[in-house]
Amino acid sequence: MSARNMTQAVQADTSLLQRVDEIARGPLAAIVTDIDLNGHYPLEILRTLGEAGALAPHLQRNGADFGLAIQAMATVSRQCGATGFLMWCHMVCGLYLEKAPNSALNMELLSTHALGHSFGGTALSNPMKALAGIERMALEATPAPGGYRVSGVLPWVSHIAPGQYCGAMARIDGQKGREILFLLRFDGQATLRPCPHFSGMEGTSTWSIRLDDYFLPAHDVIAVPAQPLVSVIKAPFILLQAGMAAGVVQGCIDSMLEVEPQLGHVNRFLEDRPDTMQAELDAFTQRALKLARTPAETDPSYLLDVLDVRAHGSELALRASQSALLHQGARGYLSTAAPQRRVREAQFVAIVTPAIKHLRLEMARLMTEELPA
Amino acid sequence: MIPYRKFICRVCGWIYDEALGDADGGLPPGTRFDDIPDDWACPLCGVTKADFEPYVLPAAAVTAGTTPDISVTARSVWDAVIVGGGTAGWAVAERLRALSPSARIALVTGCAGDLYAKPQLSVALSRNLDATSLCQGQGADTAAGMGITLMGGTFASGIDPHAHRLRTTRGTLRYGALVLAQGAQPVRVPSLPADLVWRVNSLSAWLRLRRSIGDTPRRIVLVGAGLVGCELAEDAATAGHTVTLIGRGPYPLDGLVPPAAGRRLGARLEHAGIHVMNDTFVHNVTKPERTVGVNVVTSGHPALCEADIVIAAIGLETNLHLAHTAGLDTDNGIVVEPATLRTSQTDIYALGDCISIHGQPCRYIGPIAAQADTIAHEILGLRHAGYAHQPPKVRLKSRVAPLELTGTPDPAAPWEVVTDTTERLVMQQRRGSATTARLEVS
Repeated sequence: MSARNMTQAVQADTSLLQRVDEIARGPLAAIVTDIDLNGHYPLEILRTLGEAGALAPHLQRNGADFGLAIQAMATVSRQCGATGFLMWCHMVCGLYLEKAPNSALNMELLSTHALGHSFGGTALSNPMKALAGIERMALEATPAPGGYRVSGVLPWVSHIAPGQYCGAMARIDGQKGREILFLLRFDGQATLRPCPHFSGMEGTSTWSIRLDDYFLPAHDVIAVPAQPLVSVIKAPFILLQAGMAAGVVQGCIDSMLEVEPQLGHVNRFLEDRPDTMQAELDAFTQRALKLARTPAETDPSYLLDVLDVRAHGSELALRASQSALLHQGARGYLSTAAPQRRVREAQFVAIVTPAIKHLRLEMARLMTEELPA
Repeated sequence: MIPYRKFICRVCGWIYDEALGDADGGLPPGTRFDDIPDDWACPLCGVTKADFEPYVLPAAAVTAGTTPDISVTARSVWDAVIVGGGTAGWAVAERLRALSPSARIALVTGCAGDLYAKPQLSVALSRNLDATSLCQGQGADTAAGMGITLMGGTFASGIDPHAHRLRTTRGTLRYGALVLAQGAQPVRVPSLPADLVWRVNSLSAWLRLRRSIGDTPRRIVLVGAGLVGCELAEDAATAGHTVTLIGRGPYPLDGLVPPAAGRRLGARLEHAGIHVMNDTFVHNVTKPERTVGVNVVTSGHPALCEADIVIAAIGLETNLHLAHTAGLDTDNGIVVEPATLRTSQTDIYALGDCISIHGQPCRYIGPIAAQADTIAHEILGLRHAGYAHQPPKVRLKSRVAPLELTGTPDPAAPWEVVTDTTERLVMQQRRGSATTARLEVS
């Protein structure tokens, strides 16, 4: 890239992030509580973000800028963790569509998806855990004329709704190693059932999916066998979540600083003070952005780095949210207060796939010496 | 226009900003405090405006120096965290405990932390050693006896040097000082795949190899004719196995010793029944059936070595992943300051096989005790003379050709023969009148 093009690219990044920040601090900040507690699904915000270009910097067509995608997600998550999570769901679904062989998916649908004119998430939590040997693969596919028949139940999948779609995976005839990655459309064939009330982040449009002989047409198949694609997507899938963590932590620091003038004299007796957390967050962000420069890297030590940075993000979010609540005291404990909302958002960052324990299991596995059988 | 002001609720600390007003309380933006009706209530705690006072932003409440440095107390949960449960890790633990009965010490290791002497592994087959005779102490027992916390089966995944935190697969530890004693790992190359080729760099790996060899004579191929390769080859041959030793150089220990010594060693190994293949490169290793096939190119010609067991001993390298998460300076190991063994980050030290001093790794047991002692003194703030690195004496544990190398051999400098009889070969390198290296093969 020439110096001039580089300057233009940096300016474009800055202006995108400014626009995202305006959306986040403006219309999004105004409805955060509604999203968090009342289940408002902020598609209007996602549409605005999509039109601004914030849902697609990581796509090949936009230069595969994963760092910018993470920063945009962080800017949104700083105001609302649930919306940041929806961005992640949307971005990951974009990755699947991009890899689909069919142009109806990788061109047409991806174009509307990238702009936030159509919406879809990811149902790969269960498959990621299944491939790691943590739980059973929930969906099973059987070859059928013109495609497959898919059956099974997925307990909670976010950023889906009637008329939307998501990336999903099934095991063909239940056989390990024979997985299929496909686009699951909610066009009436699949049953969506509302989930029980969550303690927060209610506006993520999270449903239980039931498939009874869902007909999967061949043109909606993204990859079969799925494993090679999953191994390519795995690192960016996990790394993008750094945006959620960074945003939640920054929001927590904001809450600490907000009360600093009034309560600094007593808050200085707390650990994890805003300056400490900011230094740790900055180091974390730098590391995540550095890893984001090489999302296609397949070296095991790169994956180890991605897993570790993801675990680091969860730990930082948990500590920062706890500390922000302690910094604000009773004020932060109000049901509409940001600090206690962020405690729940941080808990979500720590448990959403891959959860801390899942990350540690995978890291231990990667670091165990391989010997002949 | 008078600038907008802010008022703070004395009861709950909520701030009324005239610019923003309180929409929920019926006060549009721009409503002056004086214009607020008396029946208006604080949206947070319900008190009236009488309980508000002008809010003046205090000067920065937090100033350096007056803030208690909580992070120091928080990070001192462990006075020392040691990564690695091999000889180096235990040596530091032992020195720390000897110098400080009260220091809180944790040792993090991916293995069980059992104690053993690694050099014994390359002579264990012929001496018929087993788990019981090789293991000098269970990790858990040793830790309990020493009063330290052992985290076995735990892998360190990342370091946050500013926060003094070590992330592991069993949780994050806050440390006062961190010691990296992670060792080195066998070099991996695609031509020697890990699922077919053994590497012996730990007691557990050796025990698994031992189990795989079983109790009948086997065809064993050793790839790598360095010190460990030669030792393992002789050990296996002495134990009754059919052994092939494959080396890339023109003779064993190429690069370490001069041709006269290497050829003498090669001849003695051949005499002991080992098939020594010099100038040989492994193309790949396959296992179509029960037998493992080692496809080689020997002196330019392709050949196939069939084996039951293939062992690679082609060298060690430091895994720099953890060091890089902390941003430590590295070259072919973790760079340490030679006198203190401190890395490029405050409060992080390193020793043993994972470090490099003046750009050179030194992967021998010899220097570890002195290194551990230096680090223990450094961590505890005790005076010490400073670590002075001495190249250790290198010995080839061989019955057929015991070899000893002392001093600092220079691969580029010539060797001169001191003694050359059928029983004994002595050679040396000199700079001026001083002998800089000496080699003896008997």
